[in-house]
Amino acid sequence: MKTQINLSGSLYAGMIRDLTRPHPFAAERVGFVFGRLGSLERDDRLILLTRYHSIPDNQYVEDHTVCARIGSEALTWAMQAVYFGRSGREGIFHIHLHGGRGEPRMSAVDRREIPKLIPGFKSVGPDAAHGIIILSSDHGSGWVWLHGSTESIRVDRISVIGSPVELFENRREQ
Amino acid sequence: MSVDRYSRQSFLGASAEDRIARCTIGVIGLGGGGSHIVQQLAHVGFQHYVLYDEDIVEESNLNRLIGATSADVPAETPKLHLAKMMVYRLQPHANIRGFACRWQERPEPLRECQIVLGCVDSYKGREEIEIACRRYLMHYIDIGMDVHGKERPVIGGQIIMSSPEGLCMRCMGFLTDEKLASEAAQYGNAGPRPQVVWPNGVLASTAVGLAVDLVTNWTRSSRTHAYLSYDGNQGIIRPSITLLNLPVKTCSHFSESEVGDPVPLDL
Amino acid sequence: MVYPTEQIENLKCYCAKLSAISEGGVTFLLMEGLRLPAGCEPAVCDALLCPVPKDGYPSRLFLSVKVISLYTRNWNCVNARVAERNWFAFSWMVDIKDPTLTQLLVAHLNGFAKEK
Repeated sequence: MKTQINLSGSLYAGMIRDLTRPHPFAAERVGFVFGRLGSLERDDRLILLTRYHSIPDNQYVEDHTVCARIGSEALTWAMQAVYFGRSGREGIFHIHLHGGRGEPRMSAVDRREIPKLIPGFKSVGPDAAHGIIILSSDHGSGWVWLHGSTESIRVDRISVIGSPVELFENRREQ
Repeated sequence: MSVDRYSRQSFLGASAEDRIARCTIGVIGLGGGGSHIVQQLAHVGFQHYVLYDEDIVEESNLNRLIGATSADVPAETPKLHLAKMMVYRLQPHANIRGFACRWQERPEPLRECQIVLGCVDSYKGREEIEIACRRYLMHYIDIGMDVHGKERPVIGGQIIMSSPEGLCMRCMGFLTDEKLASEAAQYGNAGPRPQVVWPNGVLASTAVGLAVDLVTNWTRSSRTHAYLSYDGNQGIIRPSITLLNLPVKTCSHFSESEVGDPVPLDL
Repeated sequence: MVYPTEQIENLKCYCAKLSAISEGGVTFLLMEGLRLPAGCEPAVCDALLCPVPKDGYPSRLFLSVKVISLYTRNWNCVNARVAERNWFAFSWMVDIKDPTLTQLLVAHLNGFAKEK
């Protein structure tokens, strides 16, 4: 099964602009981006990203053991947004930026912490796809939990439909 | 393949060849305009295609169908076949998904494209393609030509680019309810439209240029939309006059809720 | 566009399921399992009611199939794509001042049952 993500150039630029802003104490910024489902042939899936939510500075928790930690207020907002978007099968993706270039992978902290959010999103938005996106300065990677699935799928390609068109293809293992 | 093959287009940028090769491009309509487009895309180096046309070659096509020969008429060669052969002769390893049907009958493959080029001959057809491209977040480049007037014929045409979150064909004044209504009223009575090879070539070349720029951004213009009008009598392409006095800066015709598969809201 | 609850409830009587779907700035009413007038083949199909002006018509009823009926109709809309499905419609002008949704639907369905 192939899974792809499309987003507009303006959405991508907006997210990069926000995620590269310095934070008073967090080493990284985090955001949430919303996506809707599109069907392809066979069981292949397309996720179309529509809008981005920047987490306010005061919704981070100061924790120098990790690059960034968001507080309960940010998570509550995200859960409510998924709940209110459930009739449109709108899902949510945790997104952040890693430094450097090339295809990003999850850090040990990412792998330990971020997937814990997914069951909560699935409980309020069971018909949508939710997941994680990590960007670098010139690439991006994604992991998706589809409707009815407890395991994530690695996104095969992220297409930024702007000028230029950017194609971030998964060349690594899951 | 020799690295010299694309040496003359190195001005497109160091990564241009790779970008072009990885992009998936859709072409709807492989007639007078679409056949030019496919030929040029193959020359430039595109490798992944999704093509649609249900027609076969007819005698009246031979004045403008690139790649067609006299033998294709009695052979009833599908236009899709001609297009595929044109690509394979230049790009033997190309990945072509071709459909001898209307795209509406097999819409899913189109959604894997980053750019769709439309060469259809109705406003309704254009509207439908644009809606699909907005739903599934794809760039859409449309071309079309027409000949007006009998006493003093005038060749006109357009190249339009409609991109997600950019101005749409309605914003740019090209698609209107009046045009759609007028076309619907004439359904079945329009008759064959005048078509000749050289305006098709001009429009197709301009469209391919826009597509290459979208992939490589070699002009650094980062276009979000385009509406170019073609005056075939004077041989001029210029930005449409409707763009000069455009009151809108953002598109209000497509909303976020219309992205992705339609989800009916129970009443 | 928001319709009065009573009009929505009345419209539901004509079909198995009623929902709203938006595209290109137009909100259509999707009527799944719409029961067609006697003499129509098939007797039931899906339909999209467009209660606002579109393509030169003050309102339009799109059907999921090209229905065979008692009277020959000018099916000038064949395989039109709306909300990722293909639809059919015949040329039928309904010109009622301030119709309810049911009045609109019935006026369109009369296109199958009336000669002109």
